[in-house]
Amino acid sequence: MNINEKIKVQVIGIILPLLILVLWQYVVSAGYVSYHILPLPGKVISKFIRLFTQEKLLLHIAVSLKRVFYGFFIGTVSGFLFGLLMGLSRTSEKIFGPFFHTVRQVPLIGWIPLIVMWFGMNELPRILIVAIGAFYPTTMNTFAGVRSVPRQYVELASVYGFKGIKLIRRIILPSALPSIVTGFTLSLGMSWVVLVAAELLIETNVGIGKLIDVGRETFNMELVTVGIITSGLLGFIMTKIVEKLASGTQKGMVSDQKQ
Amino acid sequence: MLINKGILEIRNLSKSFVVDNNPLQVLNNINLTFPSGAFVSIIGSSGCGKTTLLRIMLGLETNYEGDALLDGERIEGPGINRGIVFQDHRLLPWLTVGENVAFGLDGKNRKEKKLIVDEHLKLVGLSGFESAYPAQLSGGMAQRVAIARALANKPELLLLDEPLGALDALTRMHMQKELERLWILEKITMIMVTHDVDEAIYLSDKVVIMSSRPGIVKKIISVPLARPRDRAGSDFMQIKAEILKEFHLGTEYPFAYAI
Repeated sequence: MNINEKIKVQVIGIILPLLILVLWQYVVSAGYVSYHILPLPGKVISKFIRLFTQEKLLLHIAVSLKRVFYGFFIGTVSGFLFGLLMGLSRTSEKIFGPFFHTVRQVPLIGWIPLIVMWFGMNELPRILIVAIGAFYPTTMNTFAGVRSVPRQYVELASVYGFKGIKLIRRIILPSALPSIVTGFTLSLGMSWVVLVAAELLIETNVGIGKLIDVGRETFNMELVTVGIITSGLLGFIMTKIVEKLASGTQKGMVSDQKQ
Repeated sequence: MLINKGILEIRNLSKSFVVDNNPLQVLNNINLTFPSGAFVSIIGSSGCGKTTLLRIMLGLETNYEGDALLDGERIEGPGINRGIVFQDHRLLPWLTVGENVAFGLDGKNRKEKKLIVDEHLKLVGLSGFESAYPAQLSGGMAQRVAIARALANKPELLLLDEPLGALDALTRMHMQKELERLWILEKITMIMVTHDVDEAIYLSDKVVIMSSRPGIVKKIISVPLARPRDRAGSDFMQIKAEILKEFHLGTEYPFAYAI
């Protein structure tokens, strides 16, 4: 893609949000929807500015990001190791697989009461719930990546006598890398979704989810809307950054897919 | 320098697999001697055990009866004194051409590696391609890199498993000349499995014909022609007819008469 095409793609991506904005302005100002239920875009923007300059929006964002970071880190590191183990050893897949796939079916929000009872209403349960959310995509994609390493590459390695750690490092991990990175990206998206839910459900003083919750309790729809849009934008930006980082790890692979 | 090295002797070699609880004999009492520096081709219909024989020579298959001796020592596992070129180039897509050639060069420092990579890329006519990725190469170029990788460890014995089978006819004939040039230059023993009778005659000192179920050596035909060989010469054609007769593809009984 050259620069002109890139700009074109981004311009096309902005059309729909703009249309929604115009429609939003229209339905509220024409009186189809009460501004108590849906505030005017202008009001939301001024609320956003006020939050940013006077009401510590950045602090809320920072705290939420910190929770996502810890949860994401714990979830992806353990998910990677667990996925690698199940991918490499069919015995461990037989032992852990059925349990894993059953536990995975529990809706993430369903863990919250249990975890809160175990660890109390503090920072740890919020991070743990994010970690659980981040754990599954990385586990499954690492597993799939390891299992889909072409047999021919393993055979090539055995010709050179590569076994154990060397085989994993030289063949299995590089071959599974694109899939593992996809797992990380999905985990990040999941972390953010789960975090906002955790902040809504596990009582806290600060965080994007808290902003939305306060807005709901005080019937401050501007605040609710700012919270929703901020969480969406932050999730989008984080995913983009990770995708950008990921594309750097797949030099040879990218041109492979083009063929 | 390599005189009297790369001598491969196969003595009374038999191999069977267990398929659905029944033993299936794949190779039956194979006796072959590959002199030092010889070029020998093995041809045979599918299922004649060529691949199993190659795997035994590589040391990937160690559970067999009889002996496979390289320079008098029984082959018990893979080793860098044997190189292999597969039908698919089997270059690792995440490594550059240079890194692929250096794949088996463990225990050498950066400088030595670079020297060997440069030398071998030059040998196969691909100097300057070391930072390209495999996906950017044509089939013929990729196979040259695979040959460079196999030769980089200075093997005594180079095994070629239908090395040119995936290439188009013209590239293939060109690569046959290349293989001949490399063989003369490197003075090592080369054993090639192929389905192409012309290719076998063009390159080999001896052609081993195998037949299937179980795999046995049916006939060994010497090719005492001067090099470079003329593919259209009458001697060449005579040997070709002799080989084709073994596959019941001779011209004595054209189908017109058989009807």
